[in-house]
Amino acid sequence: MKHESHSPNQSLGQPAVVVDNVSKVFNAGGRQQVDALLDVSLTVQPGEFVSLIGPSGCGKSTLLRLIADLLSVSSGSLVVNGKSATQARLDQDYGMAFQQAGLFDWRNVAKNIELPLEIRGWDQAKRRERSAEMLELVKLSEFAAHMPWQLSGGMQQRVAIARALAAHPPLLLMDEPFGALDEMTREHMQAELLSICASTSTTVIFVTHSIPEAVYLSDRVVVMSPRPGRITATIDVNLGGNRNDDTREASEFYGKITEVREALRGIEHVGGARGIEDR
Amino acid sequence: MQRKVANAAVPVAFGVGFVLLWEFFVRWREIKQFILPRPSLIWKEAVHNAGFLRSAATVSGTNALVGLVCGIIIGCAVAMIANRFKILAELVTPLSAAISAIPIVVIVSILNNMFRIGSEVPRRLMVTIVVFFVVFVNVARGLRQSNATQMELMRSYAASPSQVMKKVRFPNAMPFLFTAIKIAAPLAVTTAFVSEYFGGTQDGLGQKIPAAMANSKDPLGWAYVGAACVLGLGFFIAANVLEYVAVPWQRARNSG
Repeated sequence: MKHESHSPNQSLGQPAVVVDNVSKVFNAGGRQQVDALLDVSLTVQPGEFVSLIGPSGCGKSTLLRLIADLLSVSSGSLVVNGKSATQARLDQDYGMAFQQAGLFDWRNVAKNIELPLEIRGWDQAKRRERSAEMLELVKLSEFAAHMPWQLSGGMQQRVAIARALAAHPPLLLMDEPFGALDEMTREHMQAELLSICASTSTTVIFVTHSIPEAVYLSDRVVVMSPRPGRITATIDVNLGGNRNDDTREASEFYGKITEVREALRGIEHVGGARGIEDR
Repeated sequence: MQRKVANAAVPVAFGVGFVLLWEFFVRWREIKQFILPRPSLIWKEAVHNAGFLRSAATVSGTNALVGLVCGIIIGCAVAMIANRFKILAELVTPLSAAISAIPIVVIVSILNNMFRIGSEVPRRLMVTIVVFFVVFVNVARGLRQSNATQMELMRSYAASPSQVMKKVRFPNAMPFLFTAIKIAAPLAVTTAFVSEYFGGTQDGLGQKIPAAMANSKDPLGWAYVGAACVLGLGFFIAANVLEYVAVPWQRARNSG
């Protein structure tokens, strides 16, 4: 499946996302002030797959929501696809998927995928064509007319990913998208996601609390620590382009898992790492 | 299907048993007709006066239906506007609560004075007011209960407030709307009867029942009561069928 060039604004060599000294404070000045993020800097190159991992409360979801402009920064600057986060959102420069598939029960599968296009004002013929293409991409073509509640959890999540990618955004933001799936489905979905990303050359920022998931999927794993949320380590993975089930048994894979785990252990001594899955 | 038949069998058997018991009790105790007529006598009167029953039920049914539809439309519209503009919610909520606290008798009397004699408008307005309140309260709550993930998605699509309302909030509130309609449909029928009773033309069931009773035509009066029951039940069933068709995902959720 070939994709046309994404956005005219995405020139070669320009980073997909630049997070520069960003801090986020909730309830600033209040009694329940929370320093969710402190001086976080991160640059993601086009086509890169970056995972954010860390214990609960380390601000990984907050960072993702700042990039998505679902939250606004307290200080620092953010550039997404060469523009401000708000402009990138208004231009639908990114697609997003959450732990909950968040499908709309009153729309069938194809109509769910078409929703972002509908909001952009695409005409019906173009929407139909694109949703058919996306359904093929996530291997759900025969389910176009099904209703969301007739699908399994894994299938729902695939529809959510298809919807996130429907407008061919250069950037995909994912917040624990496979967190609610069983282990078998999860590994299957990880492989699917990699092949989708390879065929669409989409940049991905992926929040997870599973070490193997982060290592398997990513070019780079960013380790974060809580109170206040900050980046403590960045680990380059480079398991190669053709990852498959054998990769999960390779010694490099285990080596990287150990490396990430040790980076997270470092946090444990500071704040206590909870909510990290070792499996 | 078999389970559905079994589910229906119990209430049907109960209904038939109740009518039979009534018939035999009245015959056995030789109860006077003006106190409690026999079901068989009521049925005979109903068949004999089927035309009158039908026309009276049509008048009341039309009053109830017009009021119901108007109440639903206005209730939804005001709930949606109130969801967009919080100040309106703060104005409408206490006002509609205050109006719904006024007895129907009072409002109908006032409305009757406002329109020409013999107009059906006051009754329909009364039904509209009652239905509006039920629909407004429920739909307003439904509009507020939107799924967090869906709202974040809509924000990520840079959707306008009216797109969010049309494509997410309102569909999400549909189960609440149908809960309201199921309550409001029989309520619309009884409100129509009560409104007809307090003045205006003498053509609806709300007038026919007391008129027949007052003329010692008790079995006929009871036949009108029966027609009223059928009308209310019809509205309730129609509301349930509508819900079944319009909110299929609610059915899917309920069944697990």
